[in-house]
Amino acid sequence: MSSSSSSDDDSAAVEPTPAEETAENKEPETAIEEIAAPAEAEETTPTIAAVEAPVTKTSSRASGSGPVVRFDISQSSSLTTIAQTAIESLKPILPNTIPSSLSSAPNPALALLNDLETIAQITALLRRPTSGAGDDNLCRWLYDTFQSSNPDLKLVVLRFLPVLLSAYLSRVVSRRKSLAGFEAVLLSLYAHETNRRASQPLSVNIPDLTHPSIYHESIFPHKNNATALNLAVISPSLEPHGMVRSTKRARIVGVALELYYTKIDKIPETSKIEFCEFCRIWAGDVNNRGVKKEEATAAVVEEAEEEEEEDGIGRIPLPWEILQPILRVLGHCLLGSNSIVNCKKKERTALFDAAIGAIRSLYLRSMHDINPKAILATGSLVKLGDMAMESTDEIDYTEIPYQTIINL
Amino acid sequence: MASTVDEDDREPAMESGEADDGIVVREVCANGISIKTTEVEAKLDEGNIQEAESSLREGLSLNFEEARALLGKLEYQRGNVEGALRVFDGIDLQAAIQRLQPCIADKTPPKKGRSRSESQHAVSQHAANLVLEAIYLKVKSLQKLGRVTEAADECTSVLDAVEKIFHQGIPDGQVDSRLQDTVSQAVELLPELWKQAGCFQEAISAYRRALLSQWNLNNESCARIQKGFAVFLLYSGVEAGPPSLAVQLEGSYVPKNNLEEAILLLMVLVKKCYLGKIKWDPSVMEHLIYALSLCSQTSVLAKQLEEVMPGVYHRVDRWKSLALCYCAAGQNKIALNLLRKSLHKHEQPDDVAALLLAAKICSEDPYLAAEGVGYAQRALSNCIENEEHLKGVGLRLLGLCLGKQAKMSSSDFERSRLQSEALKSLEAASGLESNNLDLMLELGVQYSEYRNLNAALQYAKKFIDETGGSVLKGWQLLALVLSAQKRFSEAEVVTDAAMDETTKWEQGPLLRLKAKLKVSQSLHMDAIETYRYLLALVQAQKKSFGPLRIVPQVEDDKVNEFEVWNGLANLYSSLSHWKDAEICLGKARELKEFSPEVLHTEGLMCEGRVKIQEALAAYINALLLEPTYVPCKVLIGALWSKAGPDALPIARSLLSDALRLDPTNRKAWFYLGVIHRDEGRMADAIDCFQAAAMLEESDPIESFSSVL
Repeated sequence: MSSSSSSDDDSAAVEPTPAEETAENKEPETAIEEIAAPAEAEETTPTIAAVEAPVTKTSSRASGSGPVVRFDISQSSSLTTIAQTAIESLKPILPNTIPSSLSSAPNPALALLNDLETIAQITALLRRPTSGAGDDNLCRWLYDTFQSSNPDLKLVVLRFLPVLLSAYLSRVVSRRKSLAGFEAVLLSLYAHETNRRASQPLSVNIPDLTHPSIYHESIFPHKNNATALNLAVISPSLEPHGMVRSTKRARIVGVALELYYTKIDKIPETSKIEFCEFCRIWAGDVNNRGVKKEEATAAVVEEAEEEEEEDGIGRIPLPWEILQPILRVLGHCLLGSNSIVNCKKKERTALFDAAIGAIRSLYLRSMHDINPKAILATGSLVKLGDMAMESTDEIDYTEIPYQTIINL
Repeated sequence: MASTVDEDDREPAMESGEADDGIVVREVCANGISIKTTEVEAKLDEGNIQEAESSLREGLSLNFEEARALLGKLEYQRGNVEGALRVFDGIDLQAAIQRLQPCIADKTPPKKGRSRSESQHAVSQHAANLVLEAIYLKVKSLQKLGRVTEAADECTSVLDAVEKIFHQGIPDGQVDSRLQDTVSQAVELLPELWKQAGCFQEAISAYRRALLSQWNLNNESCARIQKGFAVFLLYSGVEAGPPSLAVQLEGSYVPKNNLEEAILLLMVLVKKCYLGKIKWDPSVMEHLIYALSLCSQTSVLAKQLEEVMPGVYHRVDRWKSLALCYCAAGQNKIALNLLRKSLHKHEQPDDVAALLLAAKICSEDPYLAAEGVGYAQRALSNCIENEEHLKGVGLRLLGLCLGKQAKMSSSDFERSRLQSEALKSLEAASGLESNNLDLMLELGVQYSEYRNLNAALQYAKKFIDETGGSVLKGWQLLALVLSAQKRFSEAEVVTDAAMDETTKWEQGPLLRLKAKLKVSQSLHMDAIETYRYLLALVQAQKKSFGPLRIVPQVEDDKVNEFEVWNGLANLYSSLSHWKDAEICLGKARELKEFSPEVLHTEGLMCEGRVKIQEALAAYINALLLEPTYVPCKVLIGALWSKAGPDALPIARSLLSDALRLDPTNRKAWFYLGVIHRDEGRMADAIDCFQAAAMLEESDPIESFSSVL
């Protein structure tokens, strides 16, 4: 991740105007004057919903057909065009030029996803203090891009979810500025996930070993005992949201993170590392950040410092609906396939370090909140991380034993 | 063996035979003959595979394939994987596999010619192993050269061959141990290869193939594969999808997603551990803890932890983990009992985390509050060094416990002392953790309970600000505080603003608040309208939450239908609409047959229709159901206070008792004042009336503690 320092001097690209004040501040003392605000918000609702409904339907069909990263180029000429169009429309938004090689690449969307220079430019724009307003062109681009039928372009948008959330969640608290641009992007992610799941909840049937399963036999085979299983809802059913109501914000953000998790194996590592660093800040861990500074990406550290200077906000409320998807993502960052392969070679990846740092912070946070469920989940990840670091060279059981005498 | 090495040390050609880590291959044996390898190795080093091969064939009287297989193994063990690959490339392994099949697959009749078939088995298994091991070493060589996809393909061919040879799965105990080793290793290696190649779907199939087919794996290697698969399912982020229909047996549990499959595998592993089939692996339990707590199934997790054999965990550690599980599952009593054990003076009395959890549990129950104060104080005195950062938490819990304890105290003096201590602790905690939002809300509630409404208002507003209005409780508290300040219209504005920030489904508590606000402003028809809306919401929720629907995990956004009917009955009776009130009360009674609230309303209605005896009976019945139900105590006291001088002492004691339970009950103060006045104690009467008046000025429409 290259650093992105030029954020303030290029503010001409996106000029904030107080046009769409949808998520207007409703501070109770002044609520009498502003009681009209929700009505105004309701008016903007149908437009977003109307745009979303048809588009996301087609896109969910496209992404529902299985893994789509390595698609056949001959069949995907239209996808290439879509990606090229997206890149074209990104050009006027960014302060610096985009390498022309992106558009000519066989898969322009993936090329964009992995182009550190452009990614850094977008990140810098998202992190500007004025970003996220209703007329933010970059947010509009992210929104439109996510509506496209190219699954790789959706990945590009998802890749920015951590930095977008970091800007959104730390600013939405003070509610000084309109963040309708960020909210439109988040709502489109939410709507996509609602469509994909057909609003159904995600649930897990907790197995009970007294019933036989495909992996074991039971001594007392019960015949028909499906009812005895514990049904756990890990994500309740999804209701449609046309706007971000503040009590539903956590849910919308949580579902966006759930979507991020479903694509996590295709998300570039830099995005995951940023996510880990933001989790540390959200957990409220400001004390020992300096120690690990060199490991953090430059952008994240800057962000954190800015935030701190700005209003001392970093720690955010972490209800379970946000914390649970965070923990799933962090579990992947810590122990997902890539880190594991490298761990065995005793080379801790940057991602592993970032993840263990985030998890430690969240563990401390859950101790402070005395949240037993979070203590259990983060505590187990801390222990697993420690085990992974300590593990001496594991015996490779697939290796044949050395013999001094070879028998036929 | 040692002597061999000594002998070797003297030989000059030793270096050439040295493998990577110093282990030296010295001899190859076959057909009862063994030869030294120095000569062969020298030929190999010159790149002369053919010559090396022929010298083996002559020296050990081997055929071509046997010689090649031996050479390959020799090269592989010398660490020369490229060389090994060259040697193996010389054998047509596919053809060798083809040749193997008929001779083993021949199903001879079990009785006749048994000896013949057995010997044939031995021979053909030997041949099979030769070929399969050769392919396997080729796979390993390819893997070491980084050609993992090729390696995975070759490895698949090993497994395909084994499946063809043994149609019915590998029979237990009838297979040459070397062949079995090769098969087991190949089974275990394949998913790893696909993972390294980044082909995750193939890795998943390989895992399932390893675990669902009959490979006659030993317990340890099966456990390794199961753990590997569980870890992959939990963390890879790749959705595996349910296993194919072919493996699904009727009546058996079939996992349908990653979490289900991973949890199943981990549970199977844990069970194997305590059946003694495999060694205990602490990481398995940690993975299970992670998975089950993600699913919020900590009661299942508690069961798993309880089943772990003694000696694995220290008992205190186990108690603490169990306490966390039960507490997360809402079974605080069990959790507290476990914590009491672990905090016993002979165990770990100074464990800060356990002390804090115990204090947290106690802070939720007035009867345990005094115990909680003790835990919090102990936690505070142990917050040193690494745990100093928990000091704020300790202070916060101390404040909460003291606040709860104050509610139970019998003397005024004691109560006010505890209250001020509680506030002091909470303020101190807020000094240490200024950004702790829960603490902010708790301070707001404490202040409002002590009727310091200005401070309460500040905290409520700050809380809404800092949470961005995302927590319903903040809005509720603000509305209540405003209502206590008799700023009803502002309270209504807040309630409306809060409703804009919630979805229709979650507006129940707010609507209830709004109805009460309307009543307070004597806007009875508006209140009825609001109640009607609330009822519609309840009906709609009942339909969609029906029996098949999953109960939402957050319970507090559901409206209590009983409360709605009772509230409506109260409202109608205050308007003297007796018929409507009766109907509503009937509905409420259908939902909860014996409840002091219903009897309370019934009594009010009787009183309203001047049926004093019936009213009294209803109030007394309510007290019989719940001896600490303050409103009825007050009402009985009020009735007795009008019943002539003889009844006054009874009335006074009832009212005093009510005030002990709820010192902020303004009606109790008022009637007590009436009694004092009637008995001629004017100074006392004045005090009581004053208290009643002051409390009335700060009376919320609902109890402040309903927020937390």
